[in-house]
Amino acid sequence: MSPVAVRGRRRRVRRPAGGGVQAALSEAMVDRLMWRTGFGPGESDRRRLRGLSLHAAVDRLMRAPQGPPQGPAAVRRDGGPVRPHESDVDLVLDWCDRMIRTRNPLVERLTLFWHRHFATSRDEVSPPQLMAQQNELFRRYADLAAFPTSNMRTLAYEVGEGPAVLRFLTGEDSTARRLNENYARELMELFCLGVTDAAGRPNYSEADVREAARAATGWRIDDANPDAPRAWFDPTRFDAAAKTVLGRTGAFGHRELVDVVLAHPSHAPFLVTKLWGEFIPDPPDPATLRDLARRYVREGLRLRPLVRRILTHPAMLASIREPNMIKPPVVYAIGMMRALGLGITDETLFYGLRDMGQPPYFPPTVAGWEGGAAWLNTNAAVARFALANRLLSASYAPLPGGEPEDVPAETPAQAVQRAHRAVGRPWLASGTRSSLTYYAAHAPTRSAYERTSRQRVLRALMLGGPDAQVM
Amino acid sequence: MAGDDAPTPATDPGAAEAIRCADCARSDSLVTGLEPVDRMPLPLEAAAGFPDGVPRARGLSRRDFLRTGAFGVASVYAATRIDWTRAFEAAVASGAEPANHLVMIFLNGGNDGLNTVVPVAEYDAYRRARPNLARVLGPPAAGQVGTAPMPGTGDAHAWASVCVSGPGNNGDTKGLDTLWGDGSGGPGSDLALWPAADYTPANRSHFDSRDYWFAGALEKRTTGWLGRWLDRYGSPDNPLQAVSIDSSISKQIRAAQAPVSAVRALSGVDFRVDRVSTRVGDATEQMAPLAQVRAGRGNAGLARARDVYGRAVQVSRSLRALSGAPTGAGYPNSSLSSRLQLAAILLGAGLGVRVVTIDWGSFDTHGNQLGSQDPQLATLSRALAAFRDDLSARGIEQRVVTVVFSEFGRRVASNNTGTDHGAGGLMMAMGSAVRGGLRGEFPGLSVLDRGDLRVTTDFRAVYSAIVAEWLGGDPSAVIPGGPFPLGGPLVG
Repeated sequence: MSPVAVRGRRRRVRRPAGGGVQAALSEAMVDRLMWRTGFGPGESDRRRLRGLSLHAAVDRLMRAPQGPPQGPAAVRRDGGPVRPHESDVDLVLDWCDRMIRTRNPLVERLTLFWHRHFATSRDEVSPPQLMAQQNELFRRYADLAAFPTSNMRTLAYEVGEGPAVLRFLTGEDSTARRLNENYARELMELFCLGVTDAAGRPNYSEADVREAARAATGWRIDDANPDAPRAWFDPTRFDAAAKTVLGRTGAFGHRELVDVVLAHPSHAPFLVTKLWGEFIPDPPDPATLRDLARRYVREGLRLRPLVRRILTHPAMLASIREPNMIKPPVVYAIGMMRALGLGITDETLFYGLRDMGQPPYFPPTVAGWEGGAAWLNTNAAVARFALANRLLSASYAPLPGGEPEDVPAETPAQAVQRAHRAVGRPWLASGTRSSLTYYAAHAPTRSAYERTSRQRVLRALMLGGPDAQVM
Repeated sequence: MAGDDAPTPATDPGAAEAIRCADCARSDSLVTGLEPVDRMPLPLEAAAGFPDGVPRARGLSRRDFLRTGAFGVASVYAATRIDWTRAFEAAVASGAEPANHLVMIFLNGGNDGLNTVVPVAEYDAYRRARPNLARVLGPPAAGQVGTAPMPGTGDAHAWASVCVSGPGNNGDTKGLDTLWGDGSGGPGSDLALWPAADYTPANRSHFDSRDYWFAGALEKRTTGWLGRWLDRYGSPDNPLQAVSIDSSISKQIRAAQAPVSAVRALSGVDFRVDRVSTRVGDATEQMAPLAQVRAGRGNAGLARARDVYGRAVQVSRSLRALSGAPTGAGYPNSSLSSRLQLAAILLGAGLGVRVVTIDWGSFDTHGNQLGSQDPQLATLSRALAAFRDDLSARGIEQRVVTVVFSEFGRRVASNNTGTDHGAGGLMMAMGSAVRGGLRGEFPGLSVLDRGDLRVTTDFRAVYSAIVAEWLGGDPSAVIPGGPFPLGGPLVG
């Protein structure tokens, strides 16, 4: 039995180095949890969650209602509201605004996960309302407090019968007479199963793809009113004859097709591995994977218990002294906005996300973003630092924490300390802290301008440097 | 705006405001279709190599390269991850052989050919169709753009005066007329025109038309026509064989296997901090020690972050070493010019660059056409002439053919202040290797196809000739559905 089963009859607790799952959370652990499940810690999170067990902290995060967004809403450069249906920049910023102002960041992180999983690009999907509508669908399934029975089955039904995917994967063009295999293939390859199982055996055949495509025919989009797009089923386009998919035969329609695909033994390990990878960099060991997959199937593909088991797994707290997961650009950028108390006041964030390689709503391929180590290359590193610099300089917006003051008598260590507080006390390796203190001791400090310059450079290095890229 | 994300100077007509259709506004939020798999530094030594025309990277070793540093970074797109040091060696090896080069300039949005090359033989019909936009006959008058003679067309066609050297174009000494010469196809006649190049039946969508032109086929394809040429006839290792001067690669060079690349600009890699004393304005040197802190065993994420920052520091140091890269003179102030200057450097660097693509402009002139198209035509004509001089100074002009195209022409009849999407666009090829003159038939204004020019040249015929006569290869292996005869040689 795996150590994940920490609740219920067969309770067993494993105590890894750095404290077990029942141990009181240290500040580093709170920070870890808030980055992996949200967009980084605020001081209130640190106060609220420190000393709780991982289970208790995760339960709090999962129970928190979304509530109304906090703080002033996003505005355009001209001061007017963003217009997500008129401009793609605004469409992206509108979602970023929710991430910045939400009371429950986990909901937005899971929404982002589903966007990465069921990747759909605005590049191929018009009108933009279709993307916004799909985003609301993902958010509904991501809000596990409001929708405790959120589950993969009905999610897959709704995504596949949603206008955004019907357009993106050309399902609306697929009819009994002119079959289009696009959606059927991705349903199996990208959404539910993967090409092969763990042993490298194919999960499905080309014949399965063709037959599955027949079951998914008949769906059309009515977007005559772009503000209320809807998909509808047109029986005259549907292939009503029997199909054989993955060894099962019937006059399947889309829902029956999804049921057949989700019943495939590769589905649970596929989805569990992917969801795990959103929160934990190293893949689950085989026993953990088996256990999570078994429970996920037994619980009717419900997502709330699965998410909870992953978030409370001891692997969440692995390498706690040295963060080991590269922040996705969206998480990094929104984390900076929240740490600095900034809202959206122009397009800076959009261009920053594009340059860092993750503009939401524009995944590069149907497989979404590769992520992991691929998030970082030299250009992306420069783009990340450039965004940190821009947010720190008042050229973006006045900082709620104010501009760096001149403190003539401060020691190099105090200068480092002050800069660290100003950017939300992010993790810094001790070697990094020594380097920064060395810089602070050797930077010119004769004038007030030089001293505030030193303060600005320290802040930029902490917020935009290599240590800030991991969580 | 085709990837011009650096702020463009206010004088750049490419940034001119045009009233455009909602559909096209989308293309502005440029987003790459593919992710680069690596970043490859471009060796400084190679960039420093003009004007003797000798490919300078010849004999350049990897050690020299690491010593001298880089002048830019190419984003590499390939089917598999590649090692840039190996790619660099492949680039040097393929650059040692002089070869023919192709530059494709895409005028984004659908350039109006009829106001670029004016059908003066049918001037009355032209003027009736677009009374609010028509050029005046002869020199510019009362603030209106005029026409300038186009030798060799039997007075049937004339340049819009913004395209030629002299008073109509800010008194500049450069313009398309200097490339056109006498239009005879003989020496000095180095500009070929196809006045109604397109495909039939023309589909007036920006996106479909672009995809077809880029794919070299009347359907959407995952590879571009030049990508397919590279797959068959190009290098398996050298990503610099085809370069988009942009933040992402053009669909024209998307290949199934062959690696290709995108280079945005010469500079732009540093860790700059705003609002600080100039003595610390660049944090690159402060970043260096942070990148050298060792990550714990097995921590691949943090190790990757520090390694990438360390490499960025190295690239930044190399770039600073290159103060004032030699660039060609005489270009107008425009993002098109800076990209052509970079193209000239790359083509002259001896790194095996065979194909360059540039995506420029904002030609979707549904409204305010005169205010938007004319300054862009002036820039285009002067930039092309300067580019020719730049290539000549590097001794490689005779090995470069530059093609200018757009996704479609525009409707013959104007609307209120502009023109809507049409068919039969103006396609150009330039270079002393090119047989100049009016090479395609002008279909005339008396018989139109749904209000558009009738298409007289299938664009795939020009592509086929480029493959067969210039780049080398079998057109039928690259352009499906052929053969597409051009009705005369492209070069010679």
